[in-house]
Amino acid sequence: MSVGLDVPFLVKTFFVALSGVPIALLITIVSLLIALPLGFLLALSRINRIPVISQLARVYVSFVRGTPVIVQIFIIFTSVPLLLAPIFEKYHVKTSIYDINPIWYAFIVFSLNTTAILIEVFRSAISTVSKGQLEAAYSVGLNNVQAFRRILIPQILVVALPNICTATVNLIKATSLGYALSLREITLKAQVAANVGYNFIEAYIDIFLVYLILCSLVETLFKLYEKRLRKYKAAAA
Amino acid sequence: MQTYFDSAYIWGALPQLLSFLHVTFMVAGLSVLFGTILGFILAVMKLGTSKASIKIANGYTTILRCTPSIVLLFLVYYGLPAIASGTDLNHLDTSIYVVITFSLQFGAIMSEVMRTAYEAIDRGQYEAAVSVGLSPAQAFRRIVLPQASVVALPNFGNSLLELMKEGSLAYTIGLVDIMGKASLIISNNYNSHSLEIYLALSLIYWVLSILIEQFFSKLEKIFSKGKLVIKTT
Repeated sequence: MSVGLDVPFLVKTFFVALSGVPIALLITIVSLLIALPLGFLLALSRINRIPVISQLARVYVSFVRGTPVIVQIFIIFTSVPLLLAPIFEKYHVKTSIYDINPIWYAFIVFSLNTTAILIEVFRSAISTVSKGQLEAAYSVGLNNVQAFRRILIPQILVVALPNICTATVNLIKATSLGYALSLREITLKAQVAANVGYNFIEAYIDIFLVYLILCSLVETLFKLYEKRLRKYKAAAA
Repeated sequence: MQTYFDSAYIWGALPQLLSFLHVTFMVAGLSVLFGTILGFILAVMKLGTSKASIKIANGYTTILRCTPSIVLLFLVYYGLPAIASGTDLNHLDTSIYVVITFSLQFGAIMSEVMRTAYEAIDRGQYEAAVSVGLSPAQAFRRIVLPQASVVALPNFGNSLLELMKEGSLAYTIGLVDIMGKASLIISNNYNSHSLEIYLALSLIYWVLSILIEQFFSKLEKIFSKGKLVIKTT
């Protein structure tokens, strides 16, 4: 291995890695858009002890939190084609299952994963808001939807936001495992670039920098948003 | 990839995978050990008065928290031989790289866990201990540390679980733990029945994490019982 870093390669690959950011962000945003409402509803079902759904959600959360993301990725990646094959055959869908863009698998895996994490986040956040708030909202004549949208959700969000931030950063980090789905995101793009000249150190330094910038940005954005939401907390206290 | 599912492969794979469980445990255990030491040093730096050391410790934590484990793993795997270019590291066991990686990561997480636990303990506890004649070191060891440990316990358990799960990524650099064994079995089967093997693997991880969770909640119950007694008397 040569001594010292190949600086031109380092700079060039940095932009290669950077070009993978949109895919990583797309997966993150789609997963969050699916997981946020789903996680919230399932958290409510856990708190209100709705039979069947509550128990299913519990097992689901326990499974997702108890197994590595990479194993979940492999399970989805191998089981979805098996499940889809008969359906495709029955309805004479022409597209081959193995030609599906891997990004769909990524959407499935990461939304399922994030949903489980957000169920727990929302569950603990909802339990911090006192029941009196809901009752007070009812007593001034708000209906269920209004009470949640105007009174409870703003308060729940303030409490949940730091944890949602952590979940988002973890999600962005987890997209680096997209290489297992041969998804052309940050990690895989830089790895492929490094394969030519075995410049792996430079490539990984680039990947490292890109994630560092991305995650710090996300953290800063969440901090700003948290500050804006604080006013609800001040009003509540 | 075959289009049928045979659950016999799940039961067939379980004993094979379980025989590599000790590797997973060893790597996780050593990383916890070194990571906790590193985390303690970082926590001391964060709670100290020197501005520079606070900055360094906070910076380290932020950087490590923003790095995916797999990237850190490869950085250590390729970076360490490059830094130590004078010495020959070719015979070094892969598990050493894995332990270094996860110790670095666990240290960053633990430093936050320890800092928040230390700050959760009322300052008056320490002052009271010093006022009855304990030295600062004694006050820390006998009064603050036991209470802070109880506070840190749930977070420690969670971090441990995370570490065990992230440890599965070590297969990418060729460590044969349960995850590595699973991918070996799959490539021996010419990639058929991979779903069954992964299901068996996830079963092992699931059971392990439930056991660890139960263990920590039991510990927490035992220790917080003591806490209540101290509070009331």
